[in-house]
Amino acid sequence: MEFSIYRFNPETDSAPYMQDFTLGDDLVEPGMMLLDALLLLKEQDDSLSFRRSCQHGVCGSDGMNINGTNGLACIMPLKDLKAPIVLRPFPGMPVIRDLIVDMENFYHQYREAEPWLVNDSPEPEVERLQSPEDRDQLDGLYECILCGCCSAACPSYWWNPDRFLGPAALLQAARFIQDSRDEATEERLERLDDAYRLYRCHGIMNCTQVCPKGLNPAKAIGDIRRTMLKRSV
Amino acid sequence: MSVLSGQRAWLLQRITAIYAGLYVFLAVVLLLARPPADHAAWLATITHPVIWTATAAFAVLMLLHAWIGLRDVILDYVRPFGVRLGALAIVAILFLLLGLWALWILIEAALR
Repeated sequence: MEFSIYRFNPETDSAPYMQDFTLGDDLVEPGMMLLDALLLLKEQDDSLSFRRSCQHGVCGSDGMNINGTNGLACIMPLKDLKAPIVLRPFPGMPVIRDLIVDMENFYHQYREAEPWLVNDSPEPEVERLQSPEDRDQLDGLYECILCGCCSAACPSYWWNPDRFLGPAALLQAARFIQDSRDEATEERLERLDDAYRLYRCHGIMNCTQVCPKGLNPAKAIGDIRRTMLKRSV
Repeated sequence: MSVLSGQRAWLLQRITAIYAGLYVFLAVVLLLARPPADHAAWLATITHPVIWTATAAFAVLMLLHAWIGLRDVILDYVRPFGVRLGALAIVAILFLLLGLWALWILIEAALR
């Protein structure tokens, strides 16, 4: 099986280049994921660099651009990929080395969404309770693993990464706006109401298409807009 | 809603789109149902108070709609602050002139 992989080592390379790799058919097993193949390729060339950790689509660390679409290598079945498999780092993010990108801005925008519960009411003796219906509102929002596939697939995030929060951060914003226990809904909505943070989203929906957890950030962004509209009329 | 509200622009773009869509639909229906026979008939149609007002509103709202759209394109693609400001100013002046021109045409027609 043929691979074409983006290589760049800032210490030795003046410019990035694509390197061809071949994985022998005898090494390809049924049910193999892309990450398994990458680990075998790393045995051929141990300078090949990529992030990985849990290998089960939970930690979100092995996000990369696979044949032109962002995804997680650990849950991408090898048999579903057309050879040669072209692997590149996330588009729109600075490359540290090979498939590893600098995600500092992504995390900065995540912090900007203030992804924590704001509730200044006296703490109850037990936990802050929700009705089952209110809890259901968080489904499809809380499961995000912050892999970055969505934001790195969003043209609006490529254009204005410093000012547009991006789909991942906005999904988290929606998660706390929806939370019945949160008391800062007005402040959250007010903070998002400028020309950039929320409204750079043009509904391109790449985020929804690439999310490896099957979440729908585009819908969450639409829900924030609807909530904002309801509150302002 | 703040002065620099993103929601206001987003909402205005949708409201103006609905108005423009309705206007174009009704204009096509009207022109197909009662096509003006000559220039005098066309002038009588366009200077009818309801049609004149609806057309003037269409011109203004279409320009507002286009301004929000082009502003979005400039905010997306034009990164250097000075160039961005210059591009926004050029589009704003151009649209203002276009709006005044459209209104002048309508006023001239009404005064005939």
